[in-house]
Parts: sequence; structure tokens; C-alpha cells
Amino acid sequence: MKKIISLIKATMTDNMDIFKIKNTNGKRTILPIILAIICMFSVGSYANMIIEPLTSIKSEYTLLSLFTIVTFFLTLVEGIYKSSNLLFNCKDDNLLLSLPIKRRTVLFIRIFKFYVFELLYNSLFLLPAMTVYAINVKVSISYYIVSLFMLLLLPIIPIVISCLIGGIISSTSSKFKFKNMAQVIVTTLLLLVIFYFSFNMENILSNFTNNASHINSVITSLYYPSNAYVKMVTNFKIIDLLLFIVINILIFIIGIYIMSIRYFKINSSVKEEKSISKKKNYNIKVNSPKVALVKKELNRFFNTPVFMINAGFGLVLFIIGIISICFKFDSITKSLIVEGNISLDEIQSYIPIILYGFVCFTSFMTSISSSMISLDGKSFNILKSLPIKSTIIIMSKVVTSVLIMVPIILLGDIIMFIRFSFNIMEILMIIIGSIILPLVSETIGILVNLKYPKMDAENDTEVVKQSMSSMISVFIGMALSFITIFVLVMLLNVGTSNILVLILSNLFYMIIFSLLLLYLNKYGSKDFNRINV
Amino acid sequence: MIEIKNVTKKYGNKKALDNVSFNVNEGEIFAFIGHNGAGKTTLIKAITGIHDFDEGDILINGKSIKNDTIECKKDMAFVPDNPELYENMTAINFINFICDMYEVSLEERKKNIDKYAKMFEMEDKLGDTIKSFSHGMKQKIAIISALSHDPKILIMDEPFVGLDPKAVFDIKEVMHEMIKDGKTIFFSTHILDVAEKLCSRVAIIKNGKLVKVGSMKDIKGDKSLENVFLELEE
Repeated sequence: MKKIISLIKATMTDNMDIFKIKNTNGKRTILPIILAIICMFSVGSYANMIIEPLTSIKSEYTLLSLFTIVTFFLTLVEGIYKSSNLLFNCKDDNLLLSLPIKRRTVLFIRIFKFYVFELLYNSLFLLPAMTVYAINVKVSISYYIVSLFMLLLLPIIPIVISCLIGGIISSTSSKFKFKNMAQVIVTTLLLLVIFYFSFNMENILSNFTNNASHINSVITSLYYPSNAYVKMVTNFKIIDLLLFIVINILIFIIGIYIMSIRYFKINSSVKEEKSISKKKNYNIKVNSPKVALVKKELNRFFNTPVFMINAGFGLVLFIIGIISICFKFDSITKSLIVEGNISLDEIQSYIPIILYGFVCFTSFMTSISSSMISLDGKSFNILKSLPIKSTIIIMSKVVTSVLIMVPIILLGDIIMFIRFSFNIMEILMIIIGSIILPLVSETIGILVNLKYPKMDAENDTEVVKQSMSSMISVFIGMALSFITIFVLVMLLNVGTSNILVLILSNLFYMIIFSLLLLYLNKYGSKDFNRINV
Repeated sequence: MIEIKNVTKKYGNKKALDNVSFNVNEGEIFAFIGHNGAGKTTLIKAITGIHDFDEGDILINGKSIKNDTIECKKDMAFVPDNPELYENMTAINFINFICDMYEVSLEERKKNIDKYAKMFEMEDKLGDTIKSFSHGMKQKIAIISALSHDPKILIMDEPFVGLDPKAVFDIKEVMHEMIKDGKTIFFSTHILDVAEKLCSRVAIIKNGKLVKVGSMKDIKGDKSLENVFLELEE
């Protein structure tokens, strides 16, 4: 036990420094805590909105079952993203496996580390909901005890499932010649299936207040922890709590046992790199430094599954969304016309703005560059030793990100241009927007990454999914996209024409981009040079 | 030529380099030795423009690394102690990338890559991804890429670590060849025998301060370099 505690301490100190994040000046920042508070406050407000109508029909407990299932899906999706990298791409393999400890202990420590991260992640959603419930309903001390155990134990089932899925993905993809691509495809397909189910669940939950008791029964019959939670909150029995604890611990132990059977075999096959070349005839091409830098970044992107999935998933959803709008437009408009007293012409007139809003949301939520400096890791010194201006190196990362995003966004635009009627100015403005918005988003991403680099990550997942830089970029992106969409709607409401709205938005973001470039030119190099590896 | 003038580098309140000054002349192999944590890598990173420093200046062929960074870097090649290369790239793509950065012509890069890949017995491995390589093979790729743009000054941090005896021999040969062409080599090492046999001048650093600098003959006198170093460490 002493050994396990020491190992957990040793492995966690490296990873759990998220609350000790320092910026490039070496000063400690409380930003992670502020972001967590903002997130919890937003979730709390949302929970408060949900519980109000539920109070009138005395079904407040539905809030708890709803949040447990939502957290389950979020943890599962996060877990699938992370598990294959957190479990199978660890740099401390040689060190840990050479120690006189059981191999199963190594696996336990890795899953435990994963559990702690997911516990923190879950708390962002569950704690506010639990608090809102406690404020709105007269609860006894047993509620707090049950909620504490729920908070601690809820991540277990999604973690075990995602670890098993991660194992299957890694095992399957390691058999392919292009295993990175195989991993990306399998993971993306799986995530799409989960998203499909969660969207369908949203349909079930659409008439929320009217069907609260029905929804509660659907969730609780599908997902045991929800059932147990509601049962214990409404009618607390110590035996139920004990049973819940035992079941979760058993699931955890069985999960680790099942994983351990194949884990180390998969782990070594994932790391295996076969020699592919015996020929002397390799291709040598001369590129300009700028092109070579972009090619280097593209190589990094297309060889990092978690990076591709993280960045690419939003873009895939964008295309799926566009295709859904194209195919389901008639059925959507029919219901809107019937319910909303709105004409077909009116709906069609909003299409350019809807598309622009969609492009805006996708651009700001897909921040590729926010991980690009951190992903250089220890090899960052190669870049620093090159006879190339640091602003060129920085911009090569922005350009690469834009090159990845823009073609897919333009593809979505073209599908919409073919399906619906746009005038030439609208087409032009949307195309400009599809270039300028990713440029703004990616420049912000790189600036954030320069301020908050994580150069000592143990694996790519830590950078892409858990770094301060990627979190801040997502928050900024979220805020910018909501503000932009809000302003677009406000402008339309005061009678501004589509074209003028699009021109104004593009002009605004061109100015923002210019300001960002000025900032980058002035301070980017300083931040770049300050990063010490 | 490298001129290090009163260089001081601080990490917080700790001085990693304390007023270090010495010159590395054209056409010489210069060894830089010191115990672990003495400040060798810090100085090397300052010379190569990887790290800033707080006081003093470093001139590369008369140009300041602080003010004329890019021009200075064009004259240099750097081989790090731990070859953290771009793991997902193939070896040839990595070398080609470095050549692109130094704007090496197609003919020159072909000639150099062929020559050094053959010398380090890496010809058949150039098409493999770097992550499949051992430490020594990565080190060889780092050296080949450094030599591929024919630098005027070669700076290496512990270049012999992890290399097989044949590769160590080959590096020494390359060093001699470069010196004949009037180029400069500056490297840190813990292998004092090699430094003693290979280098014309040496500098010894201790706790960030330069304790000895001069010709190998003057520094060691009748003793071995190892003895001199150990005496200084006491």
C-alpha cells in the first residue's frame, strides 16, 4: 500500500500541476480557478433554470438524474478521447515496468490518475447541480452524504467503459499499417455514434416539464447510478448506499482485471514501430523555410490521433450539420411555419446569417493552434536554434491550422450555396468570413499557447485535452461565438440587411485580426524566446 | 570565431553563469568541461540563441547573438545532448527540413546527406520514422542534419553519449576534417580522454564560474586532464 501511495504521489505531481500553472513570466496564475468558477456558475444558472418548472410539479429529483446522465455522456466522450493516449502512450513505461511492482499496479495507477482527472471534470457539472438542488429542496444531512459518494463514484462506470473502448481502439488500430489514421477513424465513428444517441436523447427530453416523471423513469431505468441516486435522495437507506459503493468498487476492480489481461500486449504493439525502408532512393525536395515549417506542422497534426480527433471532430460535425440542414430543411421549416407564425421566404432569408453563425461557431470552437507550441515539447529547442525569425515560426503554426480548417468550412459553404439561393455578395462575404474567422481564432490560440505553454507533457493528450492553453482557448472561443451570434441576431432585429450584417462582422474581425497581428509582432517573439525547455 | 563576453545568466536568484568570458578561435576544437549542473548546457544554449542571458554578450564571427540572432544562427549548427527530434518525421524528412531552414541547395544537401549517412551507416534507415530509432541512431540523425548545411561553427552538447565506437571515431574524423577547412568546433563533454586527445583548447566551468581556460598544454601541464579536473573539483 505504501508503494502504491508513493507511486500515485510521484506520477500525480507531474500531472496535477494544473492549479500551479505558471505563465511564461514564471508567475503563478489563478486563471484555472477563475475558469472553473465561471464554468460552475454557468452550469449552476442552467440547473437553476431547469429546476424552477420542476419545483411546480414536485419532480425536482429529475434534475439530479438528468445531470448524472449528462455527466456520464460527457465523461464517456472525454474518456474515449483520452484513454488511448493516457493508457498507451506513457513516457514512464520503462521506469514503472522496471520497478519491483506488479504490472496490474501500474495499470491501476494509470486508471486512477485518469479517474482523478475525470472526477475534477465531473465536479464542474455535478457540484453546481447538487448545490442548486440543495438550495431549492429542503434536504437532510443524508443528501450531502449521498451526494458526496455520488460525486466520488460517478466517474467510475464511464471511465471503465472508455478504458475498455480505448483498449479496443488501440488494439485494432495497432494492427493497421497506418495505425494513427485507423485510430482517428475508429474513434471518430464511435464518437459520432455516441453523439447520435445523445442527440436523440435530447429529442426525448424536448418536452421536458410535461414529461418530467417519464424522463426520470427513462433515465433511471437506463442508467443504474441515476436510479440509485434518486432513490437515495428521495428515500435514504444505508443499505442502498453501501450497495452502490460496493457495486462501483467491484466494477472498477473487474474493469482493471479485464484490462490487465491484454493491456501490456496492446501497450507494446502500440509502441512498436516497424522499419519500412530498405531503399536508398529517398526523395529530397527543396522547400522555402516557410513551406517547410508548414509541412512540419502538418506532419505533426496528421500523426497525432488525439490532435486530429479533437480538432477534426468539430469540423466533421460542421459538415454533418450542413448536410442535415440541406436534407431536413423542408421538415424543419414546416414545423417552424406551423408553430412560429413565420413564412418560408422569411426563413430562407435568414439562411446566409445562419450559415455565417455556424461558420463562426465552428471556427472559434476549433482551436488547433492552441496546442501547437506545447506539442513541440522538448524538440522546441530545434525551432529556437534555427536561423528563422520567431514570428515566422509562430505564423507557420497559424497558417497550418487555417489550412486544415478552411477547406472543410468552404466545403460546407459550397454545399449550402448549391442547396439554397445566395446572392453574389452574400457568397463573397461568407467566403471572406470562412477565412477571416479561422484566422482570428487560430491567432488567438497561438497567443494563448505562447502565454501558457506546456512543454513537459507526458503525452499528447495532456497537451490537447488538459492543458491550460487549450482550455482558455475553448472558453475564449465559446464567449466570442456567443457574442458574435448574439450581435448578428440583434442587428437583424433592428432591420439591418443580411449583406450589411455580414460586411460589418467581417470588417470587425479584420480589424481584430490586424490588432492581433500587431500584438503578435510586438510581443510574440518575446513570449517565444521566454519559453525554456 | 566565438567571443563570450562577461555572460551572466540567472534562474531566479541563482546565477547559472557568472560573468563568463573566453574566446573560441577559428580553426580550433574547443572542449568545455565541468561537473553536472555546472552551467555547460546553459552556456551552449546561450551561444546558440536558444536561451536569453541577463548580462554580457556573445559574438559569432563578430555579430552579436542578441542583436543579430538570425545571421549568427546561419553560421552555426547545434547538436543537443538529448536528441529530441521530430519523432513522427522520417529521418530524411527531418534532415531535409533542417536543410530547408538553412536554405541549402539541392546539390549540396544531396552530397552532404549521402556522405554523412554513409559515414554513420544510416543510409538504409533514412526512410524510417525517427520514433523507431534508438538513442544513438537519433544522435546520428541530429549530427547528420547539423553537418548537412556545412556550418562554419559546430556546437555540440555531449556529442558522444549513446554513440557506438565506430560513430565516435567517425565524429572525430569529421571534426578533424572541419578544422582543416578552417571551421570551429565547440563541444561539452564528460569524456576527458577524448577532450584531451582531440582539443587544442579547453575551458573548465564550476558552479557557473569559469575556473580555467587556455590551451590544453598549458592547462594540464604534466598531468592528465582528468587529474586537473578532479583537483579543481575538490
